Amino acid sequence: MKTKMLTCLTLLLACGFGLFVFADSHEKEEDMNKLVFPKAYKTTAVSNGGKISGVVKFDGEVPEMKKLEITKDKAVCGVTDKFDEALVVGEGNVLKNTIVYLMDISQGKDFDKEAKPELDQKNCRFNPHVQLIPVGTALTVLNNDKATHNVHIFGTSKNNTSVNKQQTKNRKKMRLTGAKGAEGPVEVKCDIHGWMKAWVAYVPHPYFAVTNEKGEFTLEDVPPGDYKLGYWHEACGTNNKEPVKVTVAAGGEVKQDFTLKLKEAK
Amino acid sequence: MRSKNVVYLILILGLLSVYNLIFAQDAPEVSEKGKEVYEESCAHCHGTEGRGDGSAAENLLPQPRDFTRGLYKIRSTESGQLPTDQDLFDIITEGMPGSSMPGWETSLKADERWEVVAYIKTFYDGFKESETPPRQISLEGKIPYSEESIEIGKGLYTQFACFECHGQVGRGDGTSAPTLQDEWGFQSWPANLAQGWNFRGGNDIDDIYKRFIGGIAGSAMPMFEDPAFGLTIEQSIRYNELDNKVEMTEAEEEEYNQLDEKMGNAFEILDLMAEGSADEEQKQSYATAMKAFYEKSWHLANYVKSLSSEKRPEPAIGKNVLRSQYTEDDLPQIMDAAWDTLDSSYFPLVGQIIIEPRQFNPTIDSVNAKSFYNDTEVAFLFTWDDRTNNTEVKENEDTGKTFEDAIAIQFPVKIPKSPTAEKPYFLWGGRKAVYLWEWKASAADKITELTAKGINNAEEQEIQGDLQVEGKYTDGQYNLWIKRALKTDDKKDLQLEPGVFVPIAFSAWDGANGDVGTKRVISSWYSFVLEPVPSSRRFIYPPLVALLSFGLLVGLREFVRQRNT
Ligand code: HEC
Ligand code: HEC
Repeated sequence: MKTKMLTCLTLLLACGFGLFVFADSHEKEEDMNKLVFPKAYKTTAVSNGGKISGVVKFDGEVPEMKKLEITKDKAVCGVTDKFDEALVVGEGNVLKNTIVYLMDISQGKDFDKEAKPELDQKNCRFNPHVQLIPVGTALTVLNNDKATHNVHIFGTSKNNTSVNKQQTKNRKKMRLTGAKGAEGPVEVKCDIHGWMKAWVAYVPHPYFAVTNEKGEFTLEDVPPGDYKLGYWHEACGTNNKEPVKVTVAAGGEVKQDFTLKLKEAK
Repeated sequence: MRSKNVVYLILILGLLSVYNLIFAQDAPEVSEKGKEVYEESCAHCHGTEGRGDGSAAENLLPQPRDFTRGLYKIRSTESGQLPTDQDLFDIITEGMPGSSMPGWETSLKADERWEVVAYIKTFYDGFKESETPPRQISLEGKIPYSEESIEIGKGLYTQFACFECHGQVGRGDGTSAPTLQDEWGFQSWPANLAQGWNFRGGNDIDDIYKRFIGGIAGSAMPMFEDPAFGLTIEQSIRYNELDNKVEMTEAEEEEYNQLDEKMGNAFEILDLMAEGSADEEQKQSYATAMKAFYEKSWHLANYVKSLSSEKRPEPAIGKNVLRSQYTEDDLPQIMDAAWDTLDSSYFPLVGQIIIEPRQFNPTIDSVNAKSFYNDTEVAFLFTWDDRTNNTEVKENEDTGKTFEDAIAIQFPVKIPKSPTAEKPYFLWGGRKAVYLWEWKASAADKITELTAKGINNAEEQEIQGDLQVEGKYTDGQYNLWIKRALKTDDKKDLQLEPGVFVPIAFSAWDGANGDVGTKRVISSWYSFVLEPVPSSRRFIYPPLVALLSFGLLVGLREFVRQRNT
């Protein structure tokens, strides 16, 4: 009798679980191109934290960077050449603009409160191309052009990150209120100058880094422990399926390099 | 045993409800009726789960709305807010002109429409989560429609940079137009403001005003804040004037800097307001600045309204048939003012969806035509709006392959004896042949005469060159001028005679919209006629009639007088 009941129960649970997974599978698919955030994050003082650093490299034939066609406002936009920045590979195949981060950290240091994220528009190019913004922190968008831009952030409306605001040439500065929840990276576009593209990620904790020209990243003050180390890159995708496991010792330093390949074309 | 089974049953039921609690806690209360209506009438476009991925969605542009993101274009509510139930009800009732979203006023009862409103709201949790009703846009301070307001609005249209997407005169031909995408990554053409009847949310002044203030969520059209925030209308105009000066005097420079600073401060306050950290004084100046902004927006709405006729023009049938007007003079050239004296006839066009490849998302609304003739020749002026001037086939990574813009004007080879007699098949003929004038944007001064017996069965005529032609593209509009002798030596050509109704039809191609071959927009048969001349008799008759009636009168008076005596 007991076994019968157990079978019943297991079956039921299996069914339920199946349904649950099934219902959620659609979302999971989209999430493969997004960052992974912890369920909750608590700020605490971190003493004797460790450090994770490394270099991200690109594996594969480096395509020539595509020069963007400047279709309008040439007097302002055409003064510098612009390239598609989806894949910026430096000498030694190092890869710029990769986000490297801890997926599952649940407590650690606070954000640098002084930091004021800025997105610049100059000669009709967004700078930086990939940027991290703490949840709740305003993004200041600069217009250093004698041209009208519109800042279109393709977020979801759930976190109120979806924005599409015009910034005429008169308006040198515009602050966009902070996001309500963690999300991203989401695309930023100027529809008026269709080639202008960038990415922002609204992050819930400070253990995120974007690789520089040399492909380097550093995460500091990491409380000792085991973590999953993730990456995101516009053209190379994520390692959400198989994050790298790292163990940080008190005061220790972990070196972890990555070698990324282009995302498989859909 | 039995009782045990019952226990299991209860257990299972209990578990099921726990399961429901855990996994489906936010399953909405589904209105059965709404679901039924939805699945029958909406799901094939909007998808059973409201993701906008129904079986018919693939070919549609714009795509059917994905209801799971809570983004709605047509709202009476402020930017970033959800629509009201009334907004949803209205859009379902009226449909979205210029897109494939039909209106349901006649095919669904009002209560069915309300049920379906409730149902589509269940696709997005935000509707449930929001505690306060969405903030509605206030229509206070509306400025009456007047020439003066339109003039102010025209200036603001430039200052607000609407032209970047909508073009200098508003035909949706702005330099940014070809690359615009909506948030779902699909091409999104800016509205042609001269065709207000295609606005998704209606072209009443109030509607237009709401679209600026509330934004069109999910589209490329940005939300506007006053580009000269904090300045009055007079100051805005002055600022623009100074801004456009190549050189400023010292005094002007000072004035400019003052205005610039005023604006800078106002923008700072705008940001503080958004962050909720403005003090009382700042709130005060914000309110003043917003008042000026709303005022400007009303002028802008009035200007946009003035660009289009109220309704879609009546098609060229009945009294609107294309009537070629007789003139004794030489026929006017393409840009002559003489054309302005004529009303144009409107030929609506629709996507060709009969033969593969089809066009489900037409971008050319219509062709307008005018015509003059004299004793030997006839001239036509065909006009149609097209947002882009495509003169060649182009491969573009971002916008896909584009083709050449073109138009074809179609007549039957044999003019039917009576208007009710059978005409050739309207799609470039069939058993009965049609005669065509085909013009392409790549060769603006060339036109090809064709004979066709089917859409894929056209042949160039041997004898060409009977037609004079000139084509021009300006501000999102093609003007095509064609002149020909009333009678030609080529037997295969159309021979024209006053008073005879000639069937006419059109095909047009917008290369930027992927139009090529059978993928195009088409019209059915209409007709045109050389309006019978006020022949010389016209000038004899009236005096004659006058004379006769005078004579009659005199005679009558004589008659009466004689009888009386
Ligand atoms: C033939 C396909 C089709 C059918 C059938 C259809 N729709 Fe739509 N619907 C669309 C398209 C396409 C859009 C988007 C138009 C646009 O974005 O301009 C849309 C948009 C909408 C919107 C969004 C309005 C807004 O402000 O953004 C609502 C609400 C809507 N439909 C409700 C319905 C309901 C309810 C039904 C059934 C009674 C229905 N639709 C049937 C194609 C369809
Ligand atoms: C960045 C490009 C862009 C700019 C700048 C822009 N628009 Fe638009 N506009 C669009 C697009 C795209 C649509 C079509 C939206 C849709 O239905 O998806 C549109 C639609 C409209 C509509 C039709 C609304 C409806 O109900 O269908 C009006 C009216 C309009 N715009 C007016 C303006 C005015 C006035 C300005 C300047 C204050 C302006 N637009 C600036 C891109 C733009």
